[in-house]
Amino acid sequence: MITAVQKPFEEISEMVKGSQNLLILGCGSCVTVCMAGGEKEVGILASILRLANKEKGVSMEIVEDTIERQCDREFFDDVKEKIERADAVLSMACGVGVQFCSEIFSRQIVLPALNTRFYGATEQQGVWTERCAGCGDCVLAKFGGICPVARCSKSLLNGPCGGSQDGKCEVDPENIDCGWQLIYDRLKSLNLLSRLEENEPVKDWSSGRDGGPGKIVREDMLL
Amino acid sequence: MGEKKKIVAFCCENSSYKAAGAVTESSALDLVDIVRLPCSGKVEIGMVLKCLEKDHPGVLILSCPVDNCKYITGNLRAKKRVEMVKKALQNAGIDENRVHMDFISSIDTYKFVNIVKEMNDRLLNTHPVNR
Repeated sequence: MITAVQKPFEEISEMVKGSQNLLILGCGSCVTVCMAGGEKEVGILASILRLANKEKGVSMEIVEDTIERQCDREFFDDVKEKIERADAVLSMACGVGVQFCSEIFSRQIVLPALNTRFYGATEQQGVWTERCAGCGDCVLAKFGGICPVARCSKSLLNGPCGGSQDGKCEVDPENIDCGWQLIYDRLKSLNLLSRLEENEPVKDWSSGRDGGPGKIVREDMLL
Repeated sequence: MGEKKKIVAFCCENSSYKAAGAVTESSALDLVDIVRLPCSGKVEIGMVLKCLEKDHPGVLILSCPVDNCKYITGNLRAKKRVEMVKKALQNAGIDENRVHMDFISSIDTYKFVNIVKEMNDRLLNTHPVNR
């Protein structure tokens, strides 16, 4: 899933300053699972903004709603009127949802309430960690199912750097495991260490960010 | 004129709710709306904020004593949520003392009354909403 965290309240407060009729719009998918922008978080943010406004004597009508997904056009039908009535939409979706909302309702001001972080997994309740970098050319088969692009801080493809110590990464030894230690341990347990003797050629990054904004077209699905 | 809003006390049914039920005569009972919870761990950030948003002067979260929660860690979970509420209130420039958490057992009737009265005194000085 795409993970995100809420922006600092001060930043949000500054963004919505001047709005008379604000819609806070949640997203019922990834950001609901990572507890950043679902229905519950929309309610909390709305309450805090109302309380802060009351304290400052600011008049702002705040409307709340959450749709299934902000990255699919059809789900916006249910909130079309609310969006058009608002003078600003504070979207609690990831960056995709914010942009898509802004694209569909091009006359509306759409603001981001979250900072989108990474493609991650729920490691345990309340902890999400990165697993995929969306490079567009998956190499997991070669590395025992552990991605050196996402899990190594330097995205190295031919073994660890000199900053790997006791299985930890020099970037943040307390919180980041060395991706290459994980790969080594996994391949060892699979009895596939010999795979590491093969040199990995320079990766073609054009299928990822280096190739510009991505686009997938499925001819068979087009109407 | 709107109705006079009271302090909201979220009480765990295994401890503070029983303590509140055993209070026979006290002016403290006129100061609170008691909400029975199956465990203080059921309290949610949104619930607490909603009470403040609806002009209740303050919110109490009264859970089982530390290390004596029927559901093992419900009171600790509630404590973490209260900390988050207080932080959110601070960030928004609102008096964080409008929310208070305490840990009492089912026989702490006297303590329950005191907590309510002390909360009321604090709020009289800092947040006299609808009083």
